[in-house]
Amino acid sequence: MNPDERGKLRYFLNSTRYVFAFFFSLGKRARKTKVLYLVSFLPVLMSMVIKFTQIFYDRQFIEGIYIFSNMIMTFYLQFLILILALFFGTSVCSEELEGKTLTYLTTRPVPKSSIILGKYAAYTSLTILMTVTGVVFSFLILNVNDLLNLSIYKILFRDAAVLCLGIICYTSFFTFIGTFLKKSIMFGLIFCFGWENVIQYFPGSTQRFAIAHYLKSLLPAASPGGRFSFLLFRLEPTTPAVAIAMLLLITTVFITLACIVFSLKEYIFED
Amino acid sequence: MKPVIKTQNLCKWYGNVLGLSDVTLQIEPGITGILGPNGAGKSTFLKLISGQIKPNIGTVSIKEEKIRNNYLLFSIIGFCPEQDSFYGEMTGWQFISSLLRLHHLSPLEIESKAKKTLEIVELIEDKDRVIKSYSRGMRQRLKFAQAIAHEPEIMILDEPLNGLDPLGRRKIIRLIKSYKEEGKTIIVSSHVLPEIEAMTKKIILIHQGKIFAQGDIHYIRDLIETHPHMIYIKCSNPRVLASKFINEDFILNVDFTSEEDSVIVKTKDRDKFFSLLPALFIENNIEVKEITSPDDNLQSVFDYLIGK
Repeated sequence: MNPDERGKLRYFLNSTRYVFAFFFSLGKRARKTKVLYLVSFLPVLMSMVIKFTQIFYDRQFIEGIYIFSNMIMTFYLQFLILILALFFGTSVCSEELEGKTLTYLTTRPVPKSSIILGKYAAYTSLTILMTVTGVVFSFLILNVNDLLNLSIYKILFRDAAVLCLGIICYTSFFTFIGTFLKKSIMFGLIFCFGWENVIQYFPGSTQRFAIAHYLKSLLPAASPGGRFSFLLFRLEPTTPAVAIAMLLLITTVFITLACIVFSLKEYIFED
Repeated sequence: MKPVIKTQNLCKWYGNVLGLSDVTLQIEPGITGILGPNGAGKSTFLKLISGQIKPNIGTVSIKEEKIRNNYLLFSIIGFCPEQDSFYGEMTGWQFISSLLRLHHLSPLEIESKAKKTLEIVELIEDKDRVIKSYSRGMRQRLKFAQAIAHEPEIMILDEPLNGLDPLGRRKIIRLIKSYKEEGKTIIVSSHVLPEIEAMTKKIILIHQGKIFAQGDIHYIRDLIETHPHMIYIKCSNPRVLASKFINEDFILNVDFTSEEDSVIVKTKDRDKFFSLLPALFIENNIEVKEITSPDDNLQSVFDYLIGK
């Protein structure tokens, strides 16, 4: 890399950093963030209810870590991170168009791709913060009587890392959708609760077309028991290394596409 | 003087709607006023020369460089958009300083420039209030502030006086004129002739996406002054008043409306007409209820000029 290229890269990275700082600070104050923060705290509330029920009605037969793993699999992985990534990812571009504030950004000496990258990084960080806070609190509440057992923290770190990877990947996909489509939320909802929640249950290699497949491949599979277990969902996991590589590849592809579309597409405000 | 902005055969369509057609211009340093009625294509022109939208045909260059996707040029350009939109949850200070940060300035420079700009637009005392609590005039001044904060060489200002009170207008006009003295290039759009007239003599008239006329303000004024003006008068005795008008050579037409107490007069010399009017009212003991100019706007002037 020659000095000129190094200078350009430094300029690009600095631009991205400034955009990140702009939207991280703005995102923290946004009403949308506050509402979604409350939503992300639902599992904490749920955990409290479960724990109180266990304590006061002496129903200690289900382990906290088991409930926590189920919560990660059902609520976080299949609902919460999708919703958060959908709202934050699509808004990277669409809120600038709807709010007609895009002009303030595109008339600054920063590359358009660094606007997308910086804003994506800011919103992904906010989403990760939101999710991890909820996860940690839920974990601590559900395992309140086992907190000295250090081995359970491995599960917390693993699950939190998987969720972070999921957020990074889904947000990049929705960022791309937001730069590309007008009705991005509608498309996103169909994708989240149509495609992602259906395709992952298909047998064979079809399930590899869902992002959820790679995320679930990083978590231990809960194998269904009973006579009819063959009818139920059977994850045919990808190896963790391939799953991580695929998630990073998907992220890179979609964020690159988002940057290209945003740089080339002409955005006209609706009156 | 060397032109700063050059456009060549610029055309823009929004689907089937014509935004701008075949605009070839050269803009030199100083203040250039873009005048035209609403929907004439002023904003489209300004968006094209600031690279926010791409032309279907034609080219735009600023200082001999193409503008589209040439983000580095924005270090010398300030753009004030027409739309009244902001990041409402930010304070005025955060808005200006965050945008200045995108100019790769140091924290010290940001602080001094933000302070200076907010003082210029008289928002320094309200700098810590969130923008959504600002009045329309304050928001307009803030929008103007973000365009000038980094001290650009070229300023593209889309209707910068909208929503300002007369005092605020005067201050912004004075400020814009001071930038001219510094050798900067300022392009200001408006649909109000006196606003543009107060800032510059160099005017470009845009109508229906085309450059209708360009040149000195006096030429435009002459064009406009030959435009017949229509005046609606509601009074106690319109027929007597009408009979007095008939002999005057600057009166083109007198019409009675379905209302019994009104008359519409068309004149080719508005100044003469209005100097005569008070005497006629007094001499004939006519009580005036209302005087309005139904066509006293730029659109009717353009319609007339095109018809002509």
